Amino acid sequence: MRASKIPTLIAGLALWAGQAFAQPSLPPYSADGLYNLANSYARSGKLGLAVLSYERAALLAPDDPDINANLAYVRASAHVSVKPRNRFAHLAQATSPTSAAWLGVLGLALVGIGLMARKVAPRFLWIPSGGILLGVALITLTASNAMLLWPRMHEAVVLIDQTPARVSPALMGDTAFELREAESVTMTAEHEDFILIRTGGGLSGWVARANLGAVVPSVGGGIADRNKPDLNGGQGRN
Amino acid sequence: MRWVKVIIASVCLLAPAEYAMAQALDALAYETMEPSRIKLGESATLRVTSFGHLKDVALPTIPGLVFEEMGQSQGFDFVNGTAIPATFILIRVTPQFAGVFSIPGLTPTSRSIGLEVVKGDEPNPYTWRSQQPPPAPVPTTSLPKGVQLQAGGAAFVHLAIQARPIYVGESVPVEIDVGLRPGIVTSVNGLPTLKGSDFTFNNLSKQPERREQAIEGGTFVVLTWHSALAAVKPGDFLLSAEMPLTVKMSTLSAADRAAASKLAWPLLQSMYNGIAPRDMTIESSPSELKVLPLPTEGRPEHFSGAVGDFQVLSDISPASVAAGEPLTLRLHIRGAGNFDRVDSTMFDHLDHWRTYPAKSSFIPSDAVGNEGEKVFEQPLIAAQPGEQSIPGLEFNYFNPNTRRYERAQTPPINVTIAASLASGSLNALTRAQNLNGAPATGSTQGLRPDHPPPQNSVTELRPLYFRAQFLAIPTTLALILAGSWFAVRPRAARTTSKAAERVLAQLDAAARAGDSSSFFEAARRALLQTFAARWQMPADQITFAELKARLGPAGEELERLFALADEARYSDYQPGGTDFQRWLKLIRGQLAGERE
Repeated sequence: MRASKIPTLIAGLALWAGQAFAQPSLPPYSADGLYNLANSYARSGKLGLAVLSYERAALLAPDDPDINANLAYVRASAHVSVKPRNRFAHLAQATSPTSAAWLGVLGLALVGIGLMARKVAPRFLWIPSGGILLGVALITLTASNAMLLWPRMHEAVVLIDQTPARVSPALMGDTAFELREAESVTMTAEHEDFILIRTGGGLSGWVARANLGAVVPSVGGGIADRNKPDLNGGQGRN
Repeated sequence: MRWVKVIIASVCLLAPAEYAMAQALDALAYETMEPSRIKLGESATLRVTSFGHLKDVALPTIPGLVFEEMGQSQGFDFVNGTAIPATFILIRVTPQFAGVFSIPGLTPTSRSIGLEVVKGDEPNPYTWRSQQPPPAPVPTTSLPKGVQLQAGGAAFVHLAIQARPIYVGESVPVEIDVGLRPGIVTSVNGLPTLKGSDFTFNNLSKQPERREQAIEGGTFVVLTWHSALAAVKPGDFLLSAEMPLTVKMSTLSAADRAAASKLAWPLLQSMYNGIAPRDMTIESSPSELKVLPLPTEGRPEHFSGAVGDFQVLSDISPASVAAGEPLTLRLHIRGAGNFDRVDSTMFDHLDHWRTYPAKSSFIPSDAVGNEGEKVFEQPLIAAQPGEQSIPGLEFNYFNPNTRRYERAQTPPINVTIAASLASGSLNALTRAQNLNGAPATGSTQGLRPDHPPPQNSVTELRPLYFRAQFLAIPTTLALILAGSWFAVRPRAARTTSKAAERVLAQLDAAARAGDSSSFFEAARRALLQTFAARWQMPADQITFAELKARLGPAGEELERLFALADEARYSDYQPGGTDFQRWLKLIRGQLAGERE
């Protein structure tokens, strides 16, 4: 009975994954396209939108020197500081997230096949053991990549200069501090049209959703996703 | 009779406990002097507070001070937010000369307390440590008409709105007064809200104005919020304001309170006080408001819904530019009204000019944004050189004071457009866009160039490993591998170790040589060592019963093999060639763990 359920479960998962990957209605992103868009924003003085687009481009191509150079340049122009990546981050993000994901799958396959080989053919143990070690290394690389990118899933860029961060999620809430355009913040919660953010310096406050752009917009239009990059901007300060 | 004994026994048991508690409560007493510094000729009040039976205190005898008992009272004292029944004795202290006096504690455990008396010609002791003027007396007023105290007399809310009819879309200021009795109202749990969905309630002041007022014998803290209200449809409406509060209220019924007041023992009184904070929302008395529709007669074609009294002014800068260079046309709209409805549609008729989206800003001149100035900045680019005129801008609005539509118009503005500069239209476009954003000069010079058009794209920025769809792949793979792990069993021949192969070779050689003694002895030794290692037990403890239990029918075969080993060892038993092959097959299978 148990043996008959496993193929059914596997078939169901594969069918679900296939259906999910087949969704065609999402706008395409490319590192080069986002980079060029960010350059046009930077040339037109929209530093917040420029940094947002560079950040999105860097997600797809983390080691692109042009993206990183222009991102650093625009941040410096906006007088926004950012914490430099350490050596571990450089190593873990040597590959793109997409490659890292597939390398993780490859590592999982190597570990599984190595374990099977050890069980089936115990004569040449060094071959499956080497495969297992390589698989573990690949899985570790993927996990490190994911761990480093996880905070950026909740990162946003301030699109409007002197954006007020309020003490409460209401327009009449007192302003606790102001944010610079192009500053990166971490989104921690949301309430109606306001998002609770935390700055790199540890300050927290509620910011109008329209003044932020999420680095990773979610499919369903979640937190800070209502900003679609456009040349007109169109955001207002609240 | 039996119940009488029980009651008497209970009273006898409880009385010492109650007495002990009363004594203990007696010890909880303290004294305060108010004020602690006075002028000669004035008096201070010494208050003795006791949480329990307060016997009459003996007035102290201190040279230079006269003590007079003013009376006793009972009430509640708040300790750590809890109301505890207490007894108070008030004593007036009048000095006869200046100096610093120390008054010993009037109860056995209370501490001594100080009183400083200064001469009358010395600086006012109240302002000795501060240059601030003395606090103004709390003004005594009465409740506004139609306003009633709520929450047991602890709070009220009043909505002040103008009495005249208003028009749909007209923005009118409103005031919301919320009166709170300190100590009884413990917290304000939000901002005041309007009851009703037919109005918009905008720009509620961030912080309320605060003042103290004596109303109906009690001191109230009155908070006043300012806001602007606009009606969305015509009709006769009743408006009221709500305010969420937390109020300390008695949870007892009148009968329970009467019973508690009769309880002489303070401990029992404290058990019956029944005061607890309660969240509630108080509501103002409804105010009538008549909302009139905007008249259809005389409505301009381009009326955007602005209602108020406005004045318009325009200017342009610079007044002379080259063709392709941007100009900024500013339209200032000042006055009072609903500035939300004042939009930039008046720029829609700037024909022969290239325009970009206008930017607007509003500078309020009152707390609620009902009065102020809204400025529109419209970037313009002239394509052709020469003397050109920017047409006057027309702004239509409804004036509720004159009750008719009015039109404000700016005069045309003449500008001089010179011949195009060599910089080209790209710079002009960039400058035009910069009018709505930050200067781009510093941030564009050091940018690296664009990349070629993209070839590949993805549909989602979220990395693959954070998508549930992708995670199905490694999950499926892991399930397949796990299933295979359990499904695939090692083949016997493959798992035979080298040692077993050596034993099998030895057995094969013994079989070919017909040496049954060596064959069966080697077979038994190898099997026992294999089973011992496999079952984690000493070889000499492996019995026939153990073999049968673990191996089933094969155990019986092995029992026969071990018997043949003994027989071959101690006799001349010589099995045939076929027997050796049968036994070899059995032994090979057992060494490979075939039966488990």
